[in-house]
Amino acid sequence: MQYIKVDDLAFHYEDEPVLENISFEVNSGDFVMLTGENGAAKTTLLRNILGLLKPSRGSVSLSRENRWGTDLVVGYVPQQVSSFNAGFPSTVLELVQSGRYPRGKWFKKLDKEDKEHVRRSLESVGMWDMRHKKIGELSGGQKQRISLARVFATDPDLFVLDEPTTGMDIHSREEFYKLLKHNSEEHGKGILMVTHDHEELRHYANKHIELIRKEDSPWRCFSMDSCKEPSKHHSSSR
Amino acid sequence: MFFYGFMQRAFQASFLISLIAPILGLFLILRRQSLMADTLSHVSLAGVALGLLLGVDPTWTNILVVGIVAVLLEYLRMVYRTYSEISIAMLMSGGMAVALVLMSLNESGANMSINQFLFGSIVTISQQQIWLLLMLTVAIGLLYIIFRKPMYILTFDEDTAFTAGLPVKTMSILFNVLTGVTIAVVMPIVGALLVSAIIVLPAAISMRLSKSFNGVILIGIIIAIVGMLSGLIGSYQYGTPPGASITLIFISIFALTSLGKKLFSRVRQERLNGRRDLTGDISQTK
Repeated sequence: MQYIKVDDLAFHYEDEPVLENISFEVNSGDFVMLTGENGAAKTTLLRNILGLLKPSRGSVSLSRENRWGTDLVVGYVPQQVSSFNAGFPSTVLELVQSGRYPRGKWFKKLDKEDKEHVRRSLESVGMWDMRHKKIGELSGGQKQRISLARVFATDPDLFVLDEPTTGMDIHSREEFYKLLKHNSEEHGKGILMVTHDHEELRHYANKHIELIRKEDSPWRCFSMDSCKEPSKHHSSSR
Repeated sequence: MFFYGFMQRAFQASFLISLIAPILGLFLILRRQSLMADTLSHVSLAGVALGLLLGVDPTWTNILVVGIVAVLLEYLRMVYRTYSEISIAMLMSGGMAVALVLMSLNESGANMSINQFLFGSIVTISQQQIWLLLMLTVAIGLLYIIFRKPMYILTFDEDTAFTAGLPVKTMSILFNVLTGVTIAVVMPIVGALLVSAIIVLPAAISMRLSKSFNGVILIGIIIAIVGMLSGLIGSYQYGTPPGASITLIFISIFALTSLGKKLFSRVRQERLNGRRDLTGDISQTK
């Protein structure tokens, strides 16, 4: 089932063109990595997809339903260093529990199953023992982990992740990729992830989108290949 | 003092304000809108001046004007997303300017009434205002209980709230309007100049004392009750303005808790160091 469809998207910051000719899809069960050099407007593209920015041309459609026919739940992890509200008066547990709210718990009490989800999510990122700590007292890497725990607690149909592995060691990164791959392959989750770890992630992702800038054009363009054909990808993207 | 009707009303009002101030204060601080309360209190002077000029109850013109400006504030916050203080500066000075112009147009003795609104006065509290405050407290209490979770996400990160499907814009506007109405109702009691301090300070103090979100609200309410009631008693005893007395008490509590927290962490650190030294000695002896 199609979760994201981007069709000939263009985005301009005031008069400056930033993105052009962007078209791709993310379906249920897809693990898509989105790469591009620094300043390639990867985050801008994600924000267009999520509806936080409005495309200047073309269209983005985000499915309203998941493959079971119920409301699509999106789990978004923004780029952490700039966005994490470190002074927020909350314990780690409270924050990760808030990941369950979009699962029909805005006005209901969390039940046993919700709490079990939260426990497993915190354990999966090795932060269960820190659950009573204030989030402002955590290190950068720990903050990153609880953001991921929060999104796992949501158990979304579609993960939209903006450089989620910044500050993680290689072992943690591999564990994280395995967990995402399991989620896409076994549970049919859609995953769209901005990353710089292209070489590491190509063993796990099944699609690759790269934002590139053609020499004769100021626009950002786009190429999409299967990760299983890395040589083709390199020839077509440059 | 407790047998005077006006003092009883003042205590009732202080207690009710103590219940709502930390809730609004915490959200204002977390949304980086601490100065919004100050802006709206300046604007509310224009509402009062308008009421006095038209010869109607200033409470209602005040609520109307502040409600409209609260919506405008959210619009300007969106327009000047990066420099959101611009909207604060613009509306604060604009509100004061309109108040002064309206006052100059009023040839009857409106200045006296404006002074009461500027500095607040215990004797200005009527039974009608107590009822209004009680209704507002019940409304804010219920809204907090119902919308605690969506507001938690909204104040943590607006983008996360949006992607979770929350109506971010509508929630922000309604929160601003609620803050505006609260300020319009509370201002005659504590005064326009100090209303924001009374709303923001209890939450600011409790944020340093509690780790959890609900804990901040609960501790904030206790601090607000202690500060408001003792400030009121002090103000009666020494004949000082109530708003100023209460604010000074809050600032003293802030200083004391900061000092206490510093001392506590120093003692804790010394104990930890002592334990480490002891462990080192034992391992060396072995």
